[in-house]
Amino acid sequence: MPPRRRHQTRIELVQGTLDMLILKTLNAGPRHGHGIGLAIRSGSDDALDIDHGSLYPALHRLERRGWLAAEWKLSDNHQRAKFYRLTPSGRRQLASERSRWRRAVDAIARIMDPA
Amino acid sequence: MGWFARWRRRPDPDQDLADEIRFHLEAETRLRVDRGEAPTSARQHATRDFGNVLQVQETTRDMWGWSPAALVDDTRHAMRRLRAKPSSALTAAGMLALAIGLATAMFTLVDALVLRPAPFHDPSRLIRAELRWGNNGRTVVPPSVLAAWRASPLFSNVAGAATASSILDTDAGSLVRASAHVSPGLFDLLGVHPSRGRAFTAEEGRAGSDAVALLSEDLWRTTFASDPRILDRTITLDGARVQVVGLMPGGFRFPDWNTVIWQPIDFDAPPPGHARDLPEPFLRLAPGVTAAAALDAAAAMARAASSAVPSNTWVQMRAFAGSSLDAYYTHAVPILSAGVALVFLVLCANAGSLLLARLTARAAEFRMCIALGASRGRLLREAIFEHAAIATGGALGGLGLAWGLVRVARALLPEAFLSRTLHVVTLDTRAVVVALGAAFSAALTAGVIPAWIATRPAARSAAASGRGGTETRAGRAMTRTLLVVELSLACALLVLATLLVRSFMNLAAIDRGLDTDGVLTMRVAMPSTPSDPAARAAMAAAVKDRLGALPHVAEMTVSGGVPPGGGSRYYDYDWQPLEPGAKPVRISVAGGFDIGPDFFHLYRIALLDGRGFEPGDDLHAVILGERLAHLLWPTGSAVGRSFTSFKELTPYHVVGVARELRFPTVDAFADHPQFYAPFTGRGLGAISLRCAGPCPDEATVRREILAAAPGATIYGFGLLDDVYREALARPRGAAALGTTFAIIAMLAAAGGLFSVLTYAVGRRRREFGVRVALGASPADVRQLVLRDGFRVAGIGIAIGTAASAALGRVIASIEYGVSRFDPATYAVVLGLLLVTTLAASWRPARRAMTVDPSELLRDE
Repeated sequence: MPPRRRHQTRIELVQGTLDMLILKTLNAGPRHGHGIGLAIRSGSDDALDIDHGSLYPALHRLERRGWLAAEWKLSDNHQRAKFYRLTPSGRRQLASERSRWRRAVDAIARIMDPA
Repeated sequence: MGWFARWRRRPDPDQDLADEIRFHLEAETRLRVDRGEAPTSARQHATRDFGNVLQVQETTRDMWGWSPAALVDDTRHAMRRLRAKPSSALTAAGMLALAIGLATAMFTLVDALVLRPAPFHDPSRLIRAELRWGNNGRTVVPPSVLAAWRASPLFSNVAGAATASSILDTDAGSLVRASAHVSPGLFDLLGVHPSRGRAFTAEEGRAGSDAVALLSEDLWRTTFASDPRILDRTITLDGARVQVVGLMPGGFRFPDWNTVIWQPIDFDAPPPGHARDLPEPFLRLAPGVTAAAALDAAAAMARAASSAVPSNTWVQMRAFAGSSLDAYYTHAVPILSAGVALVFLVLCANAGSLLLARLTARAAEFRMCIALGASRGRLLREAIFEHAAIATGGALGGLGLAWGLVRVARALLPEAFLSRTLHVVTLDTRAVVVALGAAFSAALTAGVIPAWIATRPAARSAAASGRGGTETRAGRAMTRTLLVVELSLACALLVLATLLVRSFMNLAAIDRGLDTDGVLTMRVAMPSTPSDPAARAAMAAAVKDRLGALPHVAEMTVSGGVPPGGGSRYYDYDWQPLEPGAKPVRISVAGGFDIGPDFFHLYRIALLDGRGFEPGDDLHAVILGERLAHLLWPTGSAVGRSFTSFKELTPYHVVGVARELRFPTVDAFADHPQFYAPFTGRGLGAISLRCAGPCPDEATVRREILAAAPGATIYGFGLLDDVYREALARPRGAAALGTTFAIIAMLAAAGGLFSVLTYAVGRRRREFGVRVALGASPADVRQLVLRDGFRVAGIGIAIGTAASAALGRVIASIEYGVSRFDPATYAVVLGLLLVTTLAASWRPARRAMTVDPSELLRDE
């Protein structure tokens, strides 16, 4: 049984949001898949726990779209791992998704908290 | 790093993904262990947190879409699957190879025979002309007419060619080869140039400047061993020294398929030895001139140019050798092509059903893949890759088979067949393109369609309700329909083949009416000098003496034509018997032979009534063949009766009736009734020799004749037996081909039936187990399988029989003496197909009997 704490804070993420989070995480530098999951979890102070099963399809999809580039390098533990990094077009995609998300959040906030 | 090492380390996307996931799990496990969990439970939690590894892999692979990684992956999978179960893949590839090879080989033959235009420059502007007059008779073209046409602006070039045979003396002996005397400008007219040396100059061809020749490269290679100094050599041709000035390209055949030596001749001023050579005219139309207008004008010019040309002459265009097909080939070629197309379809259908069975066996695997997240597109792609690999293997095998078949055909086909084509029959780019097209359509029918069917959602979920204890209904319908199609095609082809075989046997068994064994025939035209009749008669007698003195010559006779087709032909005349009240009989074609006294004896033709010709007979005595005698006087003897015909007022009277000569051909015009009149020619006409041993060879005979009559022309030399055998070569070839196709189709259908039934028995094992457990005997189970097979066969045979009866009219043109509704034919075909069905169904049926219900129930 997983700890109850984790269960309560597992927020459902729409696919588009997951992509955006991945792109943002990699903005800081290349990481492998496991590291990306850790970074998102720690970056949200354990509020977001990515379902690892949907992480890899997302990574491969983004790689296919050309927003990520991947290469096999040795990890800290001297094991062969696949490292993803952001491409210039990925950077542009991140900016556009960020502004779109911003607009969506503002719109929802206007409804929820009418000023 | 060498390319080989790079290839060995080529990326494997599948493996990479597995590594990536494994790395993740190990990293997560390590993380948990660092946080204080026990190693084993850490591992468990990590794995459970991740989710279903297989599912993640499938979903991720789906993200690849059509990227190179995905294609590489799918190709890998396809190769792996092919290696794992090669037998059905190899069988399918083999059937496709057979289909593609047959189609390509057939196309090559038809292409060389019919489709390709003549290999000359702008062949549509070329005309091979002949002068016809009156009742479709042919007349020669005098040189003055040729000159008139040459001067006309309607034609940009006019040349003539006269074919002959020449004796070539080589170190190995004397050879006789087909040759031609041609206008010097002929090669310019055709637009063909020698591959070595030069063509003739305009001055060559007159007396004194005609001792030059062009040889074919083929002759140079075989007879002169590719002598590099051939152009400096003189050769001995017909006893004269002649210089070789050039070589014509190997495939060049003109005007006949076997012409290998060309010499120049100026038809307006020929050298003495060739004064009687008459040209066959070849014309090239000037730009902007239509053929119809040119031919009309040419006829008018011909009438004006020479008094020898009758007033009712017209000029007719004759096709070049490449497209002059007689009635037999005009019908046979499309039928053969249709037969090949049918066999192609049968084999593709077979391969398709094999591949479909192969895929359907993997339905459970497909279901799992879909459940794990793979898309249907990916499954389809994998299946198509697998089938594309099989189709590629089939295409390569097919090309190799086609190459082999074409070589065999070239070696075995009768020369009369090959002579119809101006092109060498060989595999070339056009044939390869056709082969690839065939391969593509084969891959489409046998590869894509089964893949589409097998990956449908319905096909996959159908067994979700049960556990795959029997065949799916859709699968059954599909495979059984394919089998019915195959069997009906096999049935139709078998009927066709049986009819062809029986036609051939009927033709071969014809009573020819004469004995052709050991008979040598030739036509001899006396030279123009001497012109004094007494001297000419003496010359003719000298020739006969010399021929009679040749070793092994037992009998000799001179006539105006030799069987089967020699002599004069008379078309569409009314023959009026001179009896009171007798009605005229219209005879559409009859052949007349002018014969000497020994004719009937040499040819062993029986005289059924009356007598042979005697020295006292006048020119209107005739001996009729049986057919004509019966047509004119159905009752009573024809001897002593009279008739008029041929626009002659003096009646002919019948002195005898001879046994009918029959020629083994489906062409009614070639096998026409005959009659005989006394030979009055003072020349030599046609000479027949009967040999009591091996016949003398052509060079010897030519020498003897030329020694007695210098300048004589000898043509049409050959053994009579060969002519008859040649006539049978075509129906024999057609029967052999038809039988081959039919056997291939039958074997393919049998193989398809066998594989489908085997697969069905495998799928239905559980069903059989349940039946046996419920009380059925093994024999009952066997009956089930046999009934399945025979039901398919029955429907197929019914459809095939109906189809062949409907198509019967198409093949009526090449069959002889058989009716397409003949029950014997259908009985044979039915028997063959039933035996084949039984043989194909036996092993699967026996396998069904060995099902043990207890072992099946144990698997539950």
